[in-house]
Amino acid sequence: MKIIGLSDPQVQTSLRAAGIGMSVPEARTIAGVLGRDPTLTELFCYDAMWSEHCSYKSSRATLKEFLPTDGPNVVMGPVEDSGIVAIDDKWCVVISHESHNHPSQILPNEGAATGIGGIVRDVNCMGATVVATADPLRFGNPYGPKANKVRWVAEGVVDGIWQYGNALGVPNMGGDIVFNDSFDDNCLVNVVSIGIVRRDQIIRSRAPPLAGEKGYDVILIGKPTDSSGLGGVTFASEALREEDEETNRGAVQIPDPFLKNVLFKANDDLFRLVRESGIEIGFKDLGGGGFTCATSEMGSAGGFGMEINLDDMHTAADFPAEVLSIAETQERFLIVSPPELREKILKIYNEDWDLPNVYEGARASVVGKINTGDRFTVTHKGEMVCDVPIQHLTEGIRYNRLELPRTIRVQEPDVAEPADYNQVLLQILRSPNIASREHVYRYYDTEVMGNAVIRPGEADAGLIAPVRGEKFGIALAVDSNPFYGRISPYWGGATAVAEAMRNVAAVGAVPSTLTDCLNYGNPEKPEAFWEFREGVKGLAESCKKLYLKGYEAQQQAVPIVSGNVSFYNESPQGSVDPSPVVACVGIMKDFSKAITMDLKKAGDKLFLIGPRFDELGGSEYYRTIFGETGANVPIVRFDLERNMIYAVIDAIDEGLLAAAHDISNGGLAASVAEMALTRPARFGVELDLDCVQGGDIGMRTDKLLFSESSGFVLEAKAGSEARLEELLKSYSLEPMQIGIVTSKRRIVMSRAGECVADLDLDEARNAWTAGLVEAMR
Amino acid sequence: MKIAVLQFPGTNCEFETLVAVKAVGMEGEIFRWNRPAGELSGFDGFVIPGGFSYQDRLRAGVIASKEPVMSALKEEAGIGKPIIGICNGFQILVETGLLPGSIEKSSGNVDMALAQNVMVSQGKIVRRGYYCDWVNLRHEAPSKRCSGSFAIERGALLKIPIAHGEGNLVTTTPGLMKKLNDEGQVVFRYCDKNGRIIDEFPFNVNGSTESIAAICNEPGNVLGMMPHPERAFFAWQLPAFDPRKQRPDEPGPGRRVFESMKRYIEVNA
Amino acid sequence: MSMNRKINLRVWLKIPDAEAATVKNTLIRRLGFGNVLDDVKKERLFSIEVDSGDPEELAKSFAKELVNENKESHIVLIDELKFEEDYVPVKVALHIEDGEAISIRERLRSRLGFENVVDVKKATVWKLYFNTLKPEAQIKAGEIAERLLINPHKDSYEIMI
Repeated sequence: MKIIGLSDPQVQTSLRAAGIGMSVPEARTIAGVLGRDPTLTELFCYDAMWSEHCSYKSSRATLKEFLPTDGPNVVMGPVEDSGIVAIDDKWCVVISHESHNHPSQILPNEGAATGIGGIVRDVNCMGATVVATADPLRFGNPYGPKANKVRWVAEGVVDGIWQYGNALGVPNMGGDIVFNDSFDDNCLVNVVSIGIVRRDQIIRSRAPPLAGEKGYDVILIGKPTDSSGLGGVTFASEALREEDEETNRGAVQIPDPFLKNVLFKANDDLFRLVRESGIEIGFKDLGGGGFTCATSEMGSAGGFGMEINLDDMHTAADFPAEVLSIAETQERFLIVSPPELREKILKIYNEDWDLPNVYEGARASVVGKINTGDRFTVTHKGEMVCDVPIQHLTEGIRYNRLELPRTIRVQEPDVAEPADYNQVLLQILRSPNIASREHVYRYYDTEVMGNAVIRPGEADAGLIAPVRGEKFGIALAVDSNPFYGRISPYWGGATAVAEAMRNVAAVGAVPSTLTDCLNYGNPEKPEAFWEFREGVKGLAESCKKLYLKGYEAQQQAVPIVSGNVSFYNESPQGSVDPSPVVACVGIMKDFSKAITMDLKKAGDKLFLIGPRFDELGGSEYYRTIFGETGANVPIVRFDLERNMIYAVIDAIDEGLLAAAHDISNGGLAASVAEMALTRPARFGVELDLDCVQGGDIGMRTDKLLFSESSGFVLEAKAGSEARLEELLKSYSLEPMQIGIVTSKRRIVMSRAGECVADLDLDEARNAWTAGLVEAMR
Repeated sequence: MKIAVLQFPGTNCEFETLVAVKAVGMEGEIFRWNRPAGELSGFDGFVIPGGFSYQDRLRAGVIASKEPVMSALKEEAGIGKPIIGICNGFQILVETGLLPGSIEKSSGNVDMALAQNVMVSQGKIVRRGYYCDWVNLRHEAPSKRCSGSFAIERGALLKIPIAHGEGNLVTTTPGLMKKLNDEGQVVFRYCDKNGRIIDEFPFNVNGSTESIAAICNEPGNVLGMMPHPERAFFAWQLPAFDPRKQRPDEPGPGRRVFESMKRYIEVNA
Repeated sequence: MSMNRKINLRVWLKIPDAEAATVKNTLIRRLGFGNVLDDVKKERLFSIEVDSGDPEELAKSFAKELVNENKESHIVLIDELKFEEDYVPVKVALHIEDGEAISIRERLRSRLGFENVVDVKKATVWKLYFNTLKPEAQIKAGEIAERLLINPHKDSYEIMI
């Protein structure tokens, strides 16, 4: 394509006409480096590799500046497709976290399914067995002006998740769902996946040492390449306009869990072959940026060059070179391996697992060679269609975006204390953001693999025991509260980390690592970029000040080993609320010690830790009861937070607790109610609010009940109360014995000798279980 | 005593099923669909595990039912070897005609279907399609009636999870329901936690005729069940609210299905 | 006499149809139809009965809801249902209660406000391409339906020519 010698508008016109999203200066840089006009294929390759999605061109500097990524347990930080942390000397957890927001807004089912398909490939390609997924979802207001569309998106996304995940055979450990009007035109569909791998069996996503000297093969396996998802990467990096939906639809990939299921089993045979032969290979999945991204990054990471012949690629039809290069056809992997393994590898895929008969046109094909040069060359039909410096292609570019604080006008509302707390409680329990998630979870196969110890909805985090004969368990929780992010992007980030860690601690697991998926608006707008930076600062601050348990003395941060940035989550109506979605992995040495949130026994004492503050900004109470946002967003008091998290972990490890639940959305009242309402829902509670100590003491009852300041509600095992109090005090926490579990099926709360609320358990449960069903009908 | 755990493209429960087979003291291996079918005769029993064979294309189980390995399995069934089909395995056995076992022995007809779940409460469809949860089962057959419940007494209650979209047993075959009941071929029904059969959601979890969750063929060697016993093999796998979960070293309820299979082989050897 | 109109939407995949490929593969490799059968394609068929409104306009709205433009194409046929000549169309539908059709009807009526929708029926049309002449092709189509395409305890089929 002619660039040199043409004016900026002329270049702009021809780029857009070809469907290339890059800027004119970017195109000129490429022509400059090549010393000639680039070919069409070259421009498409650069366009994909230099997209926001692949190159993190706007975000990388900020991430590097703030986020802690290293720690004593880190086996691999955020350098390849997934991060890896150690569980013990033998086993590791592999984790990856991605977004699939834009495609899911257009085609919810395929978009969400492809999200799972991509993330499990990221984990599997490290040599790992994928053992769980979780989906943090953000949808618009189901009762707002766009209710129909919102519900269509929500239903399609949930269908896509279960249809793909269940067929693949990977259990879903939950995730979360938040409805908020900022997502009316831009849903967020994040997806987290974890796997396990033995430390000595990790496979890297790079051409291994000596691959160039020995001329290693480049082998493409899986679905025949087609034109699907063409431009998917550029698509994920641009704001959505409704009139573009028809054209945008072409950018969505078509996932196939069936083929993936067979590929995973064939991959297991590949991993076995590698172990038995003792030869290192490179293995990588094909995701954003397609074939070009996977090949060039593998070569570049090994410090080699690469020659590709597209005529050897198995394809669905005769597509032009630029399509084959960057199409995002799903269910494909790439192997870099020595020639002596070639026949064995081809046999695994083409004969043993019979790919051509499992999916028409699927197979393994040798498509190129690694060399010791520094070029990425591609030939097609005898013609050289791409010949570029490989490092230049993969390094991408950096932008220093401007930031400008957004003016956020918020104030505390002046509202009267409600007269009827029973009604307020029922309304809160019925709210789509508080109500039981059971309606959705029942679509997810939580049981496949037989590893589930704690299932979605049973506790604040899910827990699996993924290896028979080993006692360790892996807990997973996700969090991000967009209502907090709206008031304060910084505290939105900090509280997301704190809550995800609390969630994991509430089952008894020790937070081990975090991942982040940073969902923001257009980074070219200084206010959006400021929000992004504030969020990252908040995340980092919590990581650094809550410490990795066991390494407090060194003030070791909890490492963030994987993540993703999703910009351009905006439409002409505005951008999404700042949403740094955090996933936390917790490790339990002995999963049989784990506890859930449901009340266990009448007569048990309930303890509160975490004083209540006047922090109802962004609260469920302000929003649902008064339609207000408020200003006093919950903050993280780092020392207090850390002490609470550690104390709960220790108390569970000592076997002092029967149940635990953290305090977040809906405050103390919702947390206690949820403990009573979660299956089997056999017990009631009596709370004496006079026992709430510290904090903003003397607050009005509504603020006391619904403040979203962090904390925990703990059910002590009978006889363990004294030891629990002692333990809490050793962490400088004030044990507040606020109530008792009763055999009466009522939720009773009193203050100063007067009954505040007295709610029938079944009535409460009906409201709580109906809320989400009604919102998604 | 060697068990083949059959694996079709899309099967996804073969590994935990093999764990269960081995944990009760049987040998076992995964048998890939494209292995020579004749090799099946070297095994003493068979499990067709759950999953989405051929992605449930056309309808659950039907494509796998046409594979050569299934013709070979019919032969093995004919000589009385035990076969347990779990979830998708049950669907495959139905589409093969191995369950309920044709009334006209020679015809190989399909006598029933496992249709899409329809959750009905008080005459209204309250939900449909895929559903995953723990359910209570009542063992309806006498002990020793069927391979997979050989060592389970009649009336025993088992808590086991389900996870499927098509488990709703329907039939237009005249007299089939009566025969299944009369001959003791109804092996498990969905029930409440006290063992009462309540023919509506959430107790009858998928709309199945007469709350049937599992049936066997007339000789009793072939069992098909929608619930997943391999996922309830250890007590720690039980849901949080089950008191047995606190005793993690205890066996789970699903273990009894695999123990039964072993006992059946021992007795019939 | 009823003034109800029936809007038929014939919907097919633009991308490769993995299900049709599997059915074809099974018919040829496993059930011995290789000598007569050339190809198998598949369509979804929605038949939507309305008691008022402009059927052409309504069809556009329904298509927006029921057809996934990224991967599917469709045609609208009002008060008639016809197929091309070069294949044998076999329509397969549930004869037991069709929960999905009921929820589509409810969705169109309540969520999207099309209260003129009286009934929704859905079916799959298998398009069987034979290398033999009509009478034999029709007999073979019946055999294929009974041996693979339907389970008679829930499905019924109809050869549409």
